[in-house]
Amino acid sequence: MTDHSSDHDEADCGCSEYRSLSRRKFIQASAGAGGAAFAASMFPAWLPKVVLAPTYQSSRDVMVSIFQRGGVDGLTTCVPFADNNYYTARPTIRIPRPDDTSVPAAQRATALDNFFGFPPGMAGLVPAFAATDLLVVHATGLLDKSRSHFDAQRWMEVGKPVDATIVTGWLGRHLATVPPMRSDALLRGIGISSGLAKTLVGGPKTLPVADPSNYNIGGASATRTARLAVIESDYGTTADPLRTSALDAVNTIELLSAINFTGYAPHNGAVYPNSGFGRALKSVAALIRADVGVEAAQIDIGGWDTHSAQDPNAGSMFSTMNDFANSLGAFWQDIVLDSLPVTAVSVSEFGRNLRENGSNGTDHGRGTTMFAMGKGIAGGRVLVVGGWPGLDLNSLEDKQDLRVTVDYRDILAEIVSRRLGNSANLSAVFPGWTPTFRGVTR
Amino acid sequence: MPQVQKGPTLPRPASPAGGEQSRRDFLRGLVSTTERARLERLQVAYATVPPFGYWSDVKLRLVRRATMGLAAVDVNEVRRIGYQSWLNEQVQYDEIDDSATEALIASRYPLLLQSPAQITAANTGTVQSQLQEAWIYRAAFSKRQLYERMVEFWSDHFNIAISKVGNLKAIDDRDVIRKYAMGTFGDLLKASAHSPAMLAYLDQNTSRAGAPNQNYARELMELHTLGVNGGYTQDDVAEMSRVLTGWTYGSAGDFLFNSGRHDFGAKTVLGVTIPASSSSAGASAVQEGEKMLDVLINHPSTARFIATKMLKWLLTPEPTAQQVSAIASVYRVTKGDIKYMVRAILNDAWVAAAPAKFKRPFHFVASSLRATNPNVTALTTMNSQVRTLGQQLFFYETPDGYPDSVEYWSGNMPPRWSFTNTLAGATTGQTVVDTAPYMTGSTAAAVDKIQADFFADELPASTRTALLNYLNGGTFTATRVRETIALALSSAEFQWY
Repeated sequence: MTDHSSDHDEADCGCSEYRSLSRRKFIQASAGAGGAAFAASMFPAWLPKVVLAPTYQSSRDVMVSIFQRGGVDGLTTCVPFADNNYYTARPTIRIPRPDDTSVPAAQRATALDNFFGFPPGMAGLVPAFAATDLLVVHATGLLDKSRSHFDAQRWMEVGKPVDATIVTGWLGRHLATVPPMRSDALLRGIGISSGLAKTLVGGPKTLPVADPSNYNIGGASATRTARLAVIESDYGTTADPLRTSALDAVNTIELLSAINFTGYAPHNGAVYPNSGFGRALKSVAALIRADVGVEAAQIDIGGWDTHSAQDPNAGSMFSTMNDFANSLGAFWQDIVLDSLPVTAVSVSEFGRNLRENGSNGTDHGRGTTMFAMGKGIAGGRVLVVGGWPGLDLNSLEDKQDLRVTVDYRDILAEIVSRRLGNSANLSAVFPGWTPTFRGVTR
Repeated sequence: MPQVQKGPTLPRPASPAGGEQSRRDFLRGLVSTTERARLERLQVAYATVPPFGYWSDVKLRLVRRATMGLAAVDVNEVRRIGYQSWLNEQVQYDEIDDSATEALIASRYPLLLQSPAQITAANTGTVQSQLQEAWIYRAAFSKRQLYERMVEFWSDHFNIAISKVGNLKAIDDRDVIRKYAMGTFGDLLKASAHSPAMLAYLDQNTSRAGAPNQNYARELMELHTLGVNGGYTQDDVAEMSRVLTGWTYGSAGDFLFNSGRHDFGAKTVLGVTIPASSSSAGASAVQEGEKMLDVLINHPSTARFIATKMLKWLLTPEPTAQQVSAIASVYRVTKGDIKYMVRAILNDAWVAAAPAKFKRPFHFVASSLRATNPNVTALTTMNSQVRTLGQQLFFYETPDGYPDSVEYWSGNMPPRWSFTNTLAGATTGQTVVDTAPYMTGSTAAAVDKIQADFFADELPASTRTALLNYLNGGTFTATRVRETIALALSSAEFQWY
């Protein structure tokens, strides 16, 4: 990996390019690049109708950041089947051992090693794991002991626990402290959502876009350019952050309307589930293939707050895991298998209690799983820093939860440093944290 | 009721927080000087935006804050009777004759008036759409505008996802949120704690002795009363969940205490000891929970938490410590009377200095309807637009409610710009804006009307000129007028309040 940050003393300010690269200039530049007829004759339909810099090669990964909101039961997403305390504490919502012949094979865990296994709901990620492109980090999370969803999510996204003064998110600050992958990028960060997740706040040229295939201003096409010009001019004088994001949005309208999202054909026969998460990953894949300079994407997947009727074998948590694993599995097949420079990482704010509650669910706990995927990830294994902390009463945190043996920032910081080319600014991305690299990357 | 007037006991607000203050806030906690120098140059999202200089009339600032958007009826009224009288009128919402709105709701959305048992038994899709559309109608056209603002506030504070609880949400909306939105916080909290929708949403209905479910017990303290730093511990959560075992509901959408599920052992919550009792105590054990609700209602952390959150909603994203103390003391003195708190927050000195806030999508849609006053025959299109803009009513999944921050919403502008064409561009259908009143004279007169109706005449000259230039850039037709109206609703000025 080449670290580009040393080539640039100035951080990207992200605030003054509008005059130098206006929407109109973008249109002119794209017309000069060959035009739609040329593109149509040379490339498949899903490619962008305009190609800004066909020779561009990235030496940094595109980051796909996934937040599993609600607190993932890591004892289900990656079952410690060799720890019998798991089975003692989970008489109802358990995943049988890989060698438990009392149940059909389809109901058992798939062994990842001699200790951990994927439940049937996560089967969609077995190929990525087998290809050593998927790393599971277990017993990880926030060191801060909050069991509040909203505090824990906030600290995780901010990147510094219990500091209420920081407005921005860790990925936003990464983008703000590293030069753009492409100097002419109109959009560097995207959240597939209607509002901007905290993770991305502070990122230059970073917007939430709920549906990239439908991002326009409506009305008659004959007057569209004139109306957009009125809007662009009007927002040029309003207050930030509205001014900046509105002007970025005007540019992004042009960018996204040049990409054929609905006609995007995933590679290698990948099939994305038609779920919110599946569609979001598919859109991100189309953006990555379009190679327009988007270098960070953030996607949420909810449904993990399994206080009742958790049922990881056939019910609610099975469906949620199935969506997660099949979507991410499709992304692996489509993008990672072709060795595109991409790293995907998922986090969740906390795990769940070891013992199930009276509602066949689990309440808020502590340690859980993270998943990291990409050709640059040292995958094909379950990483437990310092060894499995154990599930016997005295090993649990507060006698109820899997311990957090490694701060999630160690995992992310290594990726920011070694895959995203921003080793120089870790102290800005994760203020006050000195990370220890855990061998997450190759 | 006695009047709480603005008075000498309320501290004057400090100078409004601006960008520099926020920038320092952002940088606080970051250590190295070189890092600080680098970050000084970064584009960061600011939490507050100073009020606009061209908002010269404080009466109109009040109307922006206390309504779902400027509309002629309120602008004319505040100009006629003045700041304090208009505020008093809006606070005493039940004395405002809103019978026309209620009659329309009754005829178009009749399910909402039925008994809990009938609502529970009705078609879920119908209940959902009637509730959502009634919300949009009331937000846009009810005369009780400040009340609707508070209904929206409490609906987020006591958020319930209809996707989890179904028809029960409609009962909660009527018998909890709307019933007590301007009542006392204590009544509101107790109604919520007995609401089947809330008990179902936070899994309280499945909790039982020996294996309590902590979901509701936690959010009751974290989100509804004390706040996350309000002084409770994980042990308090566990103990509170034991206190509340047995709180559930019946099939007719009614609260039910099931003593067979109650944990009769001794408990200690927030320093309060509840002695063990025998199961022969039966139904009277519901009093354990009632007692703890009173403890929460009277807790100083609750006063501060509710005061802070109401200040953020009605006034400023960053209330000062003095403002929080002042409103918390109103809470204590009035025993949580929401009317007194609202009136104290909306005093003219604070409103005059309050930073501009950014409309959320629902607010933006409602204010667009208020500005353009279309002929409304149905609201299914508007309802789906609210969803497209990102704030599908009653579908926010987690119990914290939709965010209320500019950095969250301001990145998502193109769907708003597209919405304005859906609304203003429609010549047939459910919500048709009549262009005739804009076309009685010159193009300048048309823009005058837009400026008066949408902005109460407080608009930068550059925006007015841009709208007029656009209108003059084509033939003066209804179509061109519709586009100009859409541009006015799309403008930056229309997004702030």
